[in-house]
Amino acid sequence: MLIACPYCGPRDLSEFTYQGDANRTRPNPMSNDQSAWNAYVYERVNPAGDHREFWQHSGGCRAHLAVIRSTLTHEIKSVAFAREAAK
Amino acid sequence: MVEIVSPLEPAYRRGAHGNRDGGSRITLSETQPGSIVQLAAWPGREDAMRAVVKTVTGLALDGAPGAGAVDESSAAFGFAPGRWLVVDQAEGAGQTFREKVSADLGTVCDLSHGRTAIAVEGEKAERLLSKFYALDFSLAAFPVASAKSTAHHDVFTLIQRTGADRFDLYVYRSFARSFWHLLCASAEEFGYTVE
Amino acid sequence: MSPRRAHNGGRIDRSTTLRFTFDGTAMTGHAGDTLASALLANGISVVGRSFKYHRPRGVFSAGIEEPNALVTVIKGKLREPNIPATQVELYDGLAVESQNRFPSLSLDIGAANGLAGNLFAAGFYYKTFMGPVAGPLKGTRFWMLCEHFIRRAAGLGRAGHEPDTDRYEKMYGFCDLLVVGSGPAGLTAARRAAAEGKRVFLAEQEPEFGGTLRWKSAAIDGRPAADWVAATLAELRALPNVTLLPRTTVWGYYDDNALGALDRVADHKAHAAIGEPRQRHWTIRAKDVVLATGAFERPIVFPGNDRPGIMLAAAAARYAAEYGVLPGERIAVFANNDSAYESALALKDAGAEIAAIIDVRAGVSVAARELAREAGGELLLGYAVTSTSGARRLREIEVQAFADGKVKEGATRAFAVDCLAVSGGWSPAIHLASQAGHAPQWDEALQAFLPPAPTQSWTGAGAFTGAFSTSAALGDDLAVNEPEIEYEPAPVFEIRPTAKKTGKAFVDLQHDVTASDIRLAHREGFQSVEHLKRYTTLGMATDQGKSSNVPGLAIMAAARGLPILEVGTTRFRPPFSAVSLGALAADRHAHFKPERLTPMHDWHVARGARMYAAGLWYRPMIYGTGGETVEQAYVREAKAVRASVGIVDVSTLGKIAVQGPDAAEFLDRVYTNMFSTLPVDKARYGLMLREEGIAFDDGTTWRLGEHDFLMTTTTANAGKVMQHLEYYLDCVWPDLRVHVTSVTDEWAGAAVAGPNARHVLEACVEGTGVDHDALPFMGIVRGEIAGAPVMICRLSFSGELAYEVYCGAGHGQHVWDALMNAGQAFDIVPYGLEALGTLRIEKGHVTGAEIDGRTSPRDLYLDWMLSKKKPYIGSAMVDREGLVASDRVRLVGVIALDDRPLQGGAHIVERLGEEPRGSIGHITGFCFSPALGKYIALALVKGGKARHGQRAFVSDPVRNRYGPVEIVSHHFFDPEGSRMHG
Repeated sequence: MLIACPYCGPRDLSEFTYQGDANRTRPNPMSNDQSAWNAYVYERVNPAGDHREFWQHSGGCRAHLAVIRSTLTHEIKSVAFAREAAK
Repeated sequence: MVEIVSPLEPAYRRGAHGNRDGGSRITLSETQPGSIVQLAAWPGREDAMRAVVKTVTGLALDGAPGAGAVDESSAAFGFAPGRWLVVDQAEGAGQTFREKVSADLGTVCDLSHGRTAIAVEGEKAERLLSKFYALDFSLAAFPVASAKSTAHHDVFTLIQRTGADRFDLYVYRSFARSFWHLLCASAEEFGYTVE
Repeated sequence: MSPRRAHNGGRIDRSTTLRFTFDGTAMTGHAGDTLASALLANGISVVGRSFKYHRPRGVFSAGIEEPNALVTVIKGKLREPNIPATQVELYDGLAVESQNRFPSLSLDIGAANGLAGNLFAAGFYYKTFMGPVAGPLKGTRFWMLCEHFIRRAAGLGRAGHEPDTDRYEKMYGFCDLLVVGSGPAGLTAARRAAAEGKRVFLAEQEPEFGGTLRWKSAAIDGRPAADWVAATLAELRALPNVTLLPRTTVWGYYDDNALGALDRVADHKAHAAIGEPRQRHWTIRAKDVVLATGAFERPIVFPGNDRPGIMLAAAAARYAAEYGVLPGERIAVFANNDSAYESALALKDAGAEIAAIIDVRAGVSVAARELAREAGGELLLGYAVTSTSGARRLREIEVQAFADGKVKEGATRAFAVDCLAVSGGWSPAIHLASQAGHAPQWDEALQAFLPPAPTQSWTGAGAFTGAFSTSAALGDDLAVNEPEIEYEPAPVFEIRPTAKKTGKAFVDLQHDVTASDIRLAHREGFQSVEHLKRYTTLGMATDQGKSSNVPGLAIMAAARGLPILEVGTTRFRPPFSAVSLGALAADRHAHFKPERLTPMHDWHVARGARMYAAGLWYRPMIYGTGGETVEQAYVREAKAVRASVGIVDVSTLGKIAVQGPDAAEFLDRVYTNMFSTLPVDKARYGLMLREEGIAFDDGTTWRLGEHDFLMTTTTANAGKVMQHLEYYLDCVWPDLRVHVTSVTDEWAGAAVAGPNARHVLEACVEGTGVDHDALPFMGIVRGEIAGAPVMICRLSFSGELAYEVYCGAGHGQHVWDALMNAGQAFDIVPYGLEALGTLRIEKGHVTGAEIDGRTSPRDLYLDWMLSKKKPYIGSAMVDREGLVASDRVRLVGVIALDDRPLQGGAHIVERLGEEPRGSIGHITGFCFSPALGKYIALALVKGGKARHGQRAFVSDPVRNRYGPVEIVSHHFFDPEGSRMHG
């Protein structure tokens, strides 16, 4: 699998680390809503199809990337810096 | 000043090694720069940081990812979004940059002790590095002066191409000796000289 | 000249004689031979014994599909089993052994299995050795007992026990076009792309390029095919944009056109050249791929079809034409298609006598008839081979009339032959395409699976596409002179004589799967191809069914009364052929494994330290002096620290520069305690949790400036903590202006600990005071030691008055030497990890053994570190019901009451039984405590503090260690910390 890092260009999967589901939103840190925290920490969508996920280019520029990948074909539909996507 | 001791010292055997049939088609050396400094700019301040690099070293960097520049005594290149490595044969560049880089521009991190600089040179340089890194080292894909961040398993490496047949590698100091052994063993088939 | 070697012809070099041994017998061959061709030339008919029935088997093919002739190659002490003799290039001094025979190839006791015939049908072992439903050998236990003996009887070669001393390496390749296979189609594709200036890789699994053109008689543009190959190769070799990869098998086709290939660099040599690996593993990224992998000839299944001397027709022709070896003197050909007629002629041209050509078809093409006439021998159309005989080599075949897919009742005819060349049609080698494509397509005319529609960027060429002729492979540019034969075979896969013949008809020669095994699978309901494969093991041998797959499916289709199209085929998975584990491990293997060394590493080794691998780091475990045990050494070292002063290398601690205007705010969010209130030049112990409230890592963080912190982590978690921080900065709080950088390698660290620690520093530090006023607990000062800049923080892990001295890594040894010099007056002792562990256990400090990914801060009595004033990672979930439950395991101390050592992982129980039933916890860290004079341990025990003072037992059945213990506070030594505060 190749991931096209926006900084480094297309790189081999071996340079990347999967950093989890990117569909979650972290609750307000002051919130004590246990169900919201529970959802954030434990619940995952696990689709058969397109999935938004974080990958870190840990063996490269170390930026986290927000990637949309098909879990059925491994096809990568889009890649962006997570910093920009998070804003 | 107290000398910076190389982590390669006991493993650094000057001279010609390996298969001598075709002479040495690889030259390996530790370049021992006096300063290796990381500059990191806040988002939006990248141009200003590149201007500081120009002022201090005279090296002009363009804004493209991995863009770099080299002269006789120094080198600079981008290796991550908003991050550059500046390398100088003289010591003290870290202090110079700390004075020039204000808190609203970015940060300076001195890595002069923490990174080991190894030059790989020769007609088989591309082939040798292809044994470790999943990168296309051809001149078209990796032009002179440009740089890439990559890793060989756990050995994180910054690579700048400093000539058609030459690459300068920056590896973590603690890994350097182990990596050097691998580099030498892998160069044996080509014949290599340690300078 | 050996008995079967022709006097001329072929591509071997008769002027070079190579010596080799087969089962210890000395033989010779020539340069250009494979082991298989050399064995045939030496008249060897039996090369191995079969897997299950121990039947004698000979060479069956001439290529990678070989199911029978597997050998063990021996180099020095190393043994490499299960290598097809067809893939072993002959070199002077080659030594090989045959396999699966006892005591010898000619006399094999296990051959009695063959007499027991039907007993060993598919599924036999599983059915027979199923255990009783109850009792000590119930169910699978009985199977596991029997399996040991069964595995010895049924099997392949024996691997050696010596470590593999060969060198392997990896290589990454990038190209515009990868051409797989160098027959006429592959060479043409490579040549075209090269002329367009593309970067081309041409991979050929055999030693020489050219494929079938090396032995086929076709003429290209009026000259011999081999000349055209030589000219084309010369052209390609001269181009800088072409990389030729002989002996390179492309074995896997992965996402984004990444292909795995194994380059057998030096397997064909007695010794690799200097620096040359034995094998090189390529990962090739190709923009496009041309699959020109050719096709495999198929056998026909008939009784007695496994006798030595029976082989694939094209293979027989290849031995004759390429190696100048006659596989027999009097040869019969048995076919369902025209291609075998070409083979017959090639054998005749090499000097063999063709006794008969037997074809199941009633009529054949004009071209085939012409070939048959030239080859000589009787042409028997509408006939089939129904029986064979001969003990160690084929002696005779019997044929019977055959029509409408059936053997006709009636007279048999016998032919005395020593070789039978069989052709059951051709199967394109679609393995890689199947990995990178949809389901293969069954072609009714060719009776073969054709390549599927691609899911990746490849195109096919030549026989791979089902275009089997040389002219089709070369395209229209070249004039090819070859017989115009028809490749469509008759749809005949198996010959079933009507008479009660006893001979077994083999489908999968390597796994001894017969046609009746497939019908048995059908009767027992294992009818889908996936079930068939697993029940009978059809196609699961080392050859992966390259020749047996289609006949097997055809027999199942016939049993089910379905067309092959509907039965389908299993999907091919990588690897296409065997890949050595050494090549896959390559640079992670043996001494190429990366290791991390501290700046003082050589000093430790020179001082006799026993080094301990902590992750990739090497750290001193103890410094051994003359004959001390490990325990004696660490006790001596730990005592010295408590008595006077010791020094330990702490350079491996993870160090992260946390810089920027929001650095303090960021640390407040990642640590449970407050860092924004930390003054410059002070350090603080910090604890990090994961989001779910579980403890993650701990360490001290030093504030070096308003915007500048140096975080330390545990050695083991350095990478994980770095990634954790980067994740939050990139994905959760992108607005914070903070940069994190790994500076672990920038700093060398030495901890100087003990009542005399300050005196040591006073003797060597310049430019700053180190007394309690200048350097209070958790204070930081900067100065110099022997001219090198240092940063000193007064903090303690040992519970003694202690300082961590940091300097640039390149000055590490220099500063260490100066500290050792200054410490001489105080009998300073270097100490290792064992003593460090002892000191921390005595103090009850936690490490990774307690912060084990399951414990919460409360479990470790670190709840005093949980700030109530601010949220932090984990704050919302740390008070969850489950994490505050009263039955959680919590940190305690344990003292052995029987004065015997305790060990990590041992259970703590309330009552002593035979097994650790009712475990209330386990030991995490243990030592002999010189301060207490007892064996002590830290443990995680249900109830924690509430059990202080209670008696319990250690129960460790694995190491047979049982005994009474007392549960106490984990602060064994100096709980008030008076020593640390000096």
